Amino acid sequence: MIRAEHVTYSYRGNVQTVRDLSFHIQKGEFVAILGENGAGKTTTVKLIDGLLCPTSGQMLVNGLDTAKTRVSERAKQVGFLFQNPDRQICQSTVREEIAFGLRAVWGKKETDKIEERTDELLRLFSFRGDEEPFSLSRGQRQQVALASTLAVKPAVLILDEPTTGLDYRECTRIMEFIRSLNETEGTTVVMVCHDMEVVLDYARRALVMAGGQLLADGPVHEIFRDAALMEKASLLPPQIIQISGQLGGEFASADDAETLSDMIARAAERRQA
Amino acid sequence: MIELQALTFRYAGADRDALHDITLTIPDGAFLGIIGPAGAGKSTLAHCLSGVIPHAVRGDFYGAVRVDGLDTADSRLTDLSCIVGTVFQDVDSQIISSVVEDELLYGLENFGVPREEIEERLTFALEQTGIAPLRHRAIASLSGGQRQKVAIASLIALRPKILVLDEPTGELDPSSSRQIFSLLRRLNRETGMTVIVVEQKIMLLCEFAERLIVLSDGRIERDGTVREVLGDIAGLEAIGVNCPRSARFSSLLSEKTGRPVPVCVNADEAVEAARRLIG
Amino acid sequence: MTDLFQYVPGNTPLHRMNPITKILLTLSVCIAAFLTDNLFVLLFLLVFDLMIGVVAGAARKAFSIFRGLFKVSLFLFVLQALFVRRGNRLFWIITDEGLLTAASVVLRLLVVCLPLALVLTVTQVSDIANAMVQVLHVPYAYAFTLTTAIRFIPQFMEEMSGIMEAQTARGVEFDSQNFFKKLGMLLPLCAPLLISSVRRTGATATAAEVRGFDLRTRESGYKRYGFGLVDLAALLISAALITGAVLIP
Repeated sequence: MIRAEHVTYSYRGNVQTVRDLSFHIQKGEFVAILGENGAGKTTTVKLIDGLLCPTSGQMLVNGLDTAKTRVSERAKQVGFLFQNPDRQICQSTVREEIAFGLRAVWGKKETDKIEERTDELLRLFSFRGDEEPFSLSRGQRQQVALASTLAVKPAVLILDEPTTGLDYRECTRIMEFIRSLNETEGTTVVMVCHDMEVVLDYARRALVMAGGQLLADGPVHEIFRDAALMEKASLLPPQIIQISGQLGGEFASADDAETLSDMIARAAERRQA
Repeated sequence: MIELQALTFRYAGADRDALHDITLTIPDGAFLGIIGPAGAGKSTLAHCLSGVIPHAVRGDFYGAVRVDGLDTADSRLTDLSCIVGTVFQDVDSQIISSVVEDELLYGLENFGVPREEIEERLTFALEQTGIAPLRHRAIASLSGGQRQKVAIASLIALRPKILVLDEPTGELDPSSSRQIFSLLRRLNRETGMTVIVVEQKIMLLCEFAERLIVLSDGRIERDGTVREVLGDIAGLEAIGVNCPRSARFSSLLSEKTGRPVPVCVNADEAVEAARRLIG
Repeated sequence: MTDLFQYVPGNTPLHRMNPITKILLTLSVCIAAFLTDNLFVLLFLLVFDLMIGVVAGAARKAFSIFRGLFKVSLFLFVLQALFVRRGNRLFWIITDEGLLTAASVVLRLLVVCLPLALVLTVTQVSDIANAMVQVLHVPYAYAFTLTTAIRFIPQFMEEMSGIMEAQTARGVEFDSQNFFKKLGMLLPLCAPLLISSVRRTGATATAAEVRGFDLRTRESGYKRYGFGLVDLAALLISAALITGAVLIP
């Protein structure tokens, strides 16, 4: 689905923000990109979306070279949810907002199709179509932005820190929605996220970046358990991984509170007996 | 010390109270965290503490807020801001100058700090926040975490007794967020400054704050030490507040073993609790 | 583009100059450019601008502004050359006077724009404002409005490029060659831009207020802005530029 081959990107020919990236993401994967600020995460997802083009190397999405693909063609394939929904929202009603993206990609003539799809999304997210986006809360605006991103049914969904500024409930709602999309529609998800708990709960694979380079690529659980790697990338693993890791032995394999507490309870019983 | 007495505030044109009947005392030297779901009134409360409400925001204000004995409604905002320093949610919009040094000078100049004292205060604020090397840098060239530190330094230079921060780590990555909180802790411990911070990241609050207030729908739902508040995980989730996994783990552990397990606010405590059970 | 108005720290004579002098010098260049009709004087002023850029250690920037303005200038040049009907016909509908007018319009544009951008490269806006308050006794509220407005420009640009990026990601094609089509695409983006700007301005006002905006007086500034030899030299140069522009026919 997404294939990066020795991708390098430098800003105005000066600083290399990402260097020699190579990875391959299959259809239907849920991938998180981890690393501290300035590691090159956002640049990488922008390269996948074609908002930036590699200075050298090649980025292929669905077999198409992003550097040679037209904007509207690419927008059919890849949806991008930004950290700040207010940069995306530009229409005065929620209905118009969703239709706007559809028109840009499908063309203005497809009125019926656009109408139908807009209604579908309004129902799906239980929005009122005539609501003004800017009178909604940040979490709701993020959902409006998500709805209009998903409207064109992109095969790849990119999320750049989708949970910033959201409370726990809003964050869960957005992430659960994305999970179901990934599971039922097979949408490929690539997510930049600072909240390691969210990464552990939702992503299955992680790319770790530092200083513009790819440090590691593997299943989320394995990545989080690699203490040396976490240290090198200045990351702190999720709490349960820290706890199970420190307990060591048989417990080291547990990665959620439920499993770990079960294991400990059983061990405690054995000890008493 | 801050005292809130039956404080109710409703924004002009709103159809419900943003804060409703809040009574609260915050002693000197406290490190207080405020958490709650979106729209709970966290920022409104922060603005009431610093006097921005009722001075710069329109709405109906009932009850009283007293900061060091001064009634905020009767005092001038500038008099209050010598006691309470405020860091607003959007750091970029509160920065006034283009160079770090000027940003720190701004408040000092306005409050008429004597010239011979200015340099000393500048150095103090820069050193406390660890940004002395950035003194002559253009603010536009700094990272988000550094800008946040500049904003904090510009307030510390004024030597307020109380610092109120509204989601200071909102846009920062985990390691910069921790740096900001470590800085707040140092200020709190070394200078005795009262720190009040509105924050969405529960894990940071658990690690750094001493007291936690949970707001929901304009009301105080919980108020106590971090450990006390985390004792009721189900209740917090019903309000819409997340818990650290360590606390969830300790509660599950006590449920499954049928033995009392203390609330664990961080990973180390959880490891210790588990070891005690399995020997 | 975003760093066009950004201050670049340095210690050149231009950096050390009193902000008021710098503004006077800038204004003199502009006035001289409008007083003269002589192409050579304009050309000299342009070279003078670029030299100032070099002295300010901002040669690269000066030339990049120069390049940036080049397209606009070319457009203006063609327009003027086509529309001025006076003088002798050289070829087609182009006249000698048309060409001369076109050249002087373009030169004037360049001469005026360059120092305005350069002055912000070597001067902090806050220094301009402080000096205006201290030396020229301008009320602080006006000075503050000026600094805030100028400080907002890069933020505004950043926001604009962020919005355009977000819209591009949705499939809006800003790279369209058609000017009107492009304008039509940009217009709907004004709403989010305005909303974020208004929100920001309110927050800035409050932030300034809690840090004693109301208490500020003319004497508040910590830095003092004196006049030195550099300033004297700059004033002499200013006077020379204007005199030259008036005297040279």
